[in-house]
Amino acid sequence: MTPEELKKVQVAKTVDARGTACPGPLLEAKKTVGTIKSGDIMEVLSADEGTKSDLPKWCAKQGHEYLGTIEENGYFKVFMKKK
Amino acid sequence: MEKKKLCIGLYSGSVDKLTAAGIILSGAVADNMHVDIYVLLQGARAFRKDIGDNPDKLQMAENPALKAEFLQSLKTLKVKTWVEFFRECKTISEVKIHICGLAGKIWGAEKLDDFIDIADDICGIGAYITATQEADVNLFI
Repeated sequence: MTPEELKKVQVAKTVDARGTACPGPLLEAKKTVGTIKSGDIMEVLSADEGTKSDLPKWCAKQGHEYLGTIEENGYFKVFMKKK
Repeated sequence: MEKKKLCIGLYSGSVDKLTAAGIILSGAVADNMHVDIYVLLQGARAFRKDIGDNPDKLQMAENPALKAEFLQSLKTLKVKTWVEFFRECKTISEVKIHICGLAGKIWGAEKLDDFIDIADDICGIGAYITATQEADVNLFI
């Protein structure tokens, strides 16, 4: 999805992992995805560069759909749809 | 789908390698792996109840002169301690921690109760070897 499209998606849950370094964002995503329904969208906020590659790969392995990443001021948002 | 199995032979009892083990473990549980950790010689000492998360009682495997800097960086970056990593991972996926009986005895700890409460059982080397044969991935730290 384009950044413009991502800004408009309905997010079911936001994971704010900006205060943590790797593997914090990945673990928080793993814990939170279990609390949302299939088809729901989750966004993960992170300032950890490794998260940008970790989460898309994790989505691919777990069967979730990686929707894209938006850069913000000093952090970024990673969007995914639960399988 | 059957879960992939990771088997870790955790020989080290140094704070830097234990932290690395905790980070690797986090990645494994995020991937829904079933993890068996076999705590061997030096590792068993670190798992003793009176040692665990006390960095004053743990050495660094490498760059020992930088231990204070290393610990301060972990704190600044809000990285969990090795025990916190292990404890959290046990709540996320199937992680079993087995302490080598001989290793425990070497360090004066014989009963499960002598170790931090994340340890699941005390085992012999046969259990570790069997687990290595059954695992999809083996690591020795």
